[in-house]
Amino acid sequence: MSADQYSALRELFRPHVESFDYFLDKGLDEMIQSIRPMVIRDPNSNNTLKIILEKGHVLSPMRDARSGVLPLYPQECRQARITYHGEFKVDVCFQYNEGAQIRHTFNFGHLPIMLMSKLCHLRGADPHKLVFHGEEATEMGGYFICGGMERLVRILILQKRNYPMGLVRSSFLKRGAGYTDKAVVIRCVQRDQSSVSMKLYYLQNGSARLGFWLGGREFLLPVGIVLKALIDASDREIFTSLTCCFSDKHGKGKGVVSTQLIGERAQIVLDEVRNLSLLTRTQCLVHIGQYFRSVMEGFEKDDYETVAEAVLKDYIFVHLENNHDKFNLLIFMLQKLYALVDQTASPDNADALQYQEALLPGHLITIFLKDRLQDWLRKSKRLIIEEVAKNKGFDLGNALEIRKFVTKYTSSVSRAIESMIKVGKVNAQSGLDLPQRDGMTIQAERLNFHRYISHFRSVHRGSAFAKMRTTSVRKLLPESWGFLCPVHTPDGEPCGLLNHMTSTCRISSFYNSEGVVKNFGEMKKLLSAELVRVGMNPVLPKIERTGPPEVLHVHLDGRILGTIASATIEKAVNYLRTLKLLAHSGIPEDLEVGYVPLSFSGAFPGLYLFTNPARFVRPVRNLFILSDGKQSIELIGPFEQAFMEIRCPDGGDGGRQEQFPATHEEIHPTAILSVVANLTPWSDHNQSPRNMYQCQMAKQTMGFCGQALKFRTDVKAFHLQTPQTPIVRTGTYNKYNMDEFPSGTNAIVAVLSYTGYDMEDAMILNKSAVDRGMFRGHIYQTECIDLSTKSRDNVPETFAKSVLSRDTSSAIDSDGLPRLGQTVHPNEQYYSVHNSLTGVIRPVRLKGTEPAFIDYVAVNGAGSKHGLQKANIRLRRVRNPIIGDKFSSRHGQKGVCSQLWPDIDMPFSANTGMRPDLIINPHAFPSRMTIAMLLESMAAKAGSLHGKFIDATPFANSVKQDKDPRKPNSIVDELGPMLASYGFNYHGKEVLYSGVFGTEMDCEIFIGPVYYQRLRHMVSDKFQVRTTGRIDQITRQPIGGRKHGGGIRFGEMERDALLAHGSSYLLHDRLHSCSDYHIADVCSLCGSLLTATMIESNNQKKAKHEMLGLPTVRPPKNFACQACKTSKGMETVAMPYVFRYLAAELAAMNIKLELRLSNKSGLLPSQES
Amino acid sequence: MDPQQPEPVSYLCGDCGAENTLKPGDVIQCRECGYRILYKKRTRRIVQYEAR
Repeated sequence: MSADQYSALRELFRPHVESFDYFLDKGLDEMIQSIRPMVIRDPNSNNTLKIILEKGHVLSPMRDARSGVLPLYPQECRQARITYHGEFKVDVCFQYNEGAQIRHTFNFGHLPIMLMSKLCHLRGADPHKLVFHGEEATEMGGYFICGGMERLVRILILQKRNYPMGLVRSSFLKRGAGYTDKAVVIRCVQRDQSSVSMKLYYLQNGSARLGFWLGGREFLLPVGIVLKALIDASDREIFTSLTCCFSDKHGKGKGVVSTQLIGERAQIVLDEVRNLSLLTRTQCLVHIGQYFRSVMEGFEKDDYETVAEAVLKDYIFVHLENNHDKFNLLIFMLQKLYALVDQTASPDNADALQYQEALLPGHLITIFLKDRLQDWLRKSKRLIIEEVAKNKGFDLGNALEIRKFVTKYTSSVSRAIESMIKVGKVNAQSGLDLPQRDGMTIQAERLNFHRYISHFRSVHRGSAFAKMRTTSVRKLLPESWGFLCPVHTPDGEPCGLLNHMTSTCRISSFYNSEGVVKNFGEMKKLLSAELVRVGMNPVLPKIERTGPPEVLHVHLDGRILGTIASATIEKAVNYLRTLKLLAHSGIPEDLEVGYVPLSFSGAFPGLYLFTNPARFVRPVRNLFILSDGKQSIELIGPFEQAFMEIRCPDGGDGGRQEQFPATHEEIHPTAILSVVANLTPWSDHNQSPRNMYQCQMAKQTMGFCGQALKFRTDVKAFHLQTPQTPIVRTGTYNKYNMDEFPSGTNAIVAVLSYTGYDMEDAMILNKSAVDRGMFRGHIYQTECIDLSTKSRDNVPETFAKSVLSRDTSSAIDSDGLPRLGQTVHPNEQYYSVHNSLTGVIRPVRLKGTEPAFIDYVAVNGAGSKHGLQKANIRLRRVRNPIIGDKFSSRHGQKGVCSQLWPDIDMPFSANTGMRPDLIINPHAFPSRMTIAMLLESMAAKAGSLHGKFIDATPFANSVKQDKDPRKPNSIVDELGPMLASYGFNYHGKEVLYSGVFGTEMDCEIFIGPVYYQRLRHMVSDKFQVRTTGRIDQITRQPIGGRKHGGGIRFGEMERDALLAHGSSYLLHDRLHSCSDYHIADVCSLCGSLLTATMIESNNQKKAKHEMLGLPTVRPPKNFACQACKTSKGMETVAMPYVFRYLAAELAAMNIKLELRLSNKSGLLPSQES
Repeated sequence: MDPQQPEPVSYLCGDCGAENTLKPGDVIQCRECGYRILYKKRTRRIVQYEAR
């Protein structure tokens, strides 16, 4: 057992762990330093106090013990239902009146620590140590433990950062009069990962407005003002830099993005500013400052220019620090916007992965923590200012007093983080530029290993899109090739929104391949130096530039570095790609070289370089660089992929033309599949929806959920008693150590119509096979009983057994908890609770309909003063296969067990005498076309005869090295001889004898082992049956719901069916007799059914009736009408009880419901009277 | 043994594995190491009479 045995598995979880690592390493400090110091001014004395956040410290999780503090391990947190968190402290500096800074360290509570992150005690532990601490040997981490629950942050899709995107959306029209549906949108991300989205709207008059969100509303600024406010530029300079991309000589040639209209538009943009009589930069700044001083927090006392500078710094292109860079980018965005309007550049597709990136756990926590810390500063400031206003003698320099106020809300910061992870809700005043506010975290269910992995590899588009009626966001786009799996998405509601990363897909991070934090500043310098070497003109202020098609702009992470001639750009791109591959070039290996070539009104051309984290990247083979021969794997991103020529071994030439030869090659065609989709054997031989179904069902399989099951406290865990390793498996199976968590059985499957019990996807199981242990399973249910929180009215309750009870047969031990190993039957007492106030002992009975075994009992003494109050009780329920349980092969072929057929009546093979474990109907194949299942049957048979595993990696044929024409090309021709060599039929068929008659079957039957999974849907959890039982209190109709023993609704369509069949007696029985049958007393004189009142009856008559054995007919005259004051007209009428209820409800609204009674059917009541 | 006194129950410590015998009302804590999560031991009673 070595630590890197599971490295492939760990790689899958790296985006989660790495992003949190960076948060701990540098992200926290960077974020804290980016928080603007809070200045508090005493209005009485004009003293100031400046609060500066300096540095954060997060410690490893620790627990108090008798011998000092000891490390807290995750296992203990799960058991004790506590949070795996470490102490969080921040160094805060106080500066009183520009004096010396006094540093204090404040404790901000505890921050949840991600498992396997740098502060986790299990980081780098070998399998031995992991097992010692009650974890899986494979434990990959990537999640948090909050209150004993395992929760992970969902990876969400965000707009690609620092890239201006041209969009056409009808919602832009609603911004106001004169707005069009076109805008250029950019999401600017600061170093601390917080972002500000900006939109540059096009107006009908040719001008543009720059919009951004501040304090819950969108501010729209004329672009000219922003341009002028950014740098000291004359109108002439702005005009030329805007219009330089247009020249007459190109006309409508290739790569021309600009038309002559740009001159007029530039004029309008400048006129707008002049009309406001803003001529200089200072004037523009003052204008902006006036506008924003009321909304910018903490700038109430500053002059307009300072406010404007702060607005430009905090809200305009926050990813750039230099105003010149901001100016250049804004000019570029304007040019792109005008190109979009003039249709010389196409709009970008916001749904394509090309313009998307991922939201990672570490980044989310950084953003949210920043918001909470700022909130804490605000709250503390308010407290101090209130105190200053109240208490005249209060001095801001009084450090002790200030400390008291400042520490008041410290714990709310970490509590907010913990509750965010626990509940998934981001409670922040501003939206933090996040796509959604809740559903940020999900529970890491360990139902089986496939499901567990899928949680960490899933990428969600955002909950807002789930409600959208259009389906365009859900579409499978070619841009996601190789990054998101086309097969592995659920069918139904979240289809296409919840995607899964392919097995090779990674997410770029702050760490390079050596695990060192990347130095982005160094990288930037190096890259621009290299670019200048290959012909880039670095951008300098006040230099007239031209635009496409002569030169292309070079962007690096949203900053315009310079321009490069379009003739030399291909060379430059190739040079950059070479540098990417060289280990010590200093150029990051995951640099994205997004070269958008010149085209006829296609995407806006340029060279867009990205080094930032949170990008999807994947490895492909670079075909050109063969100098040293070994290093030719290149990491590419979705943005550059759209413009690259990548050959796929199975894809033919993909319509590629001679002049564009492939520069790259897929490493293996299976790189487009996710881990779960990769596990389907020969999935290239199946109809594609079947592969999708298999991805669904693999995640519902009742398998071996974990080897540390003994230590686990999952609310519900499924466990297969006798799992097997599949004989037919893909390369992925070994790569990800799936043998640690097997999830099925190699069952001998006969494809045969036998007994008729295998119709309609039903399957016959061999009873003896089941008796020998096939598909046997258990459900483990852990109940966590915490009496300290549950107790009502603050009466302490403890576990205790009644002293009076001498019942020794009960499952309750003398501590009030069940005995380990004991069977508990439904409705039997299994633990009891003692109420300390009343002294009453309340036993608790087992719910459900199945007996359970007490599997383990743990008592927890932490945090309770009153003795035995917290306990975990794990119950084990036996779930052997019974009729109605669901099974499926690995090819989307699910079925329900219809019979457990006796072994002696099963058909048997003529040459081996074997009986199948399982019989399925041949009709399962023609329409579903799951050829791979037939191949699997043959291959597994051949494999078991030869005693070896068969490799069933899809697309293996297309990557085969030796294309020997003499060798068989089809899989059947590979497997057939293997079978034939052992005397079996070449195609896997066998002569079978009927188990009942002993006669040979007319046909040869296809029989062989197929890996079958048992799905977690079992009848025992689903059956619903009722004759009589609880009824609704108001309507007296049977209640619904399986949990309460309710019935199944016999609805309108079912009623129609019975009517159509003419089975009115059955209808009457279902809807009346078995429902709310009621005999009402109706007064035929006044027609009311509510006025009947009982009068004293003589019981003699009734008694006489009973004595005579006559049917106890209700004496009709027992009731009298309250309204008519007589019992003359009283009649009994059978009716649904709801009808009577309706009459009562109507009466409450002053509406009388009148019945006109008659014995003759079909006669109108009016005619009768 | 006093019939009124419930018999003590023994537990295993979750940290050091030491056996602890606790009476009702005792503090839930390992006597050896002070760890506060204890596991119950399997009952000594016969759980199943017939083996089929």
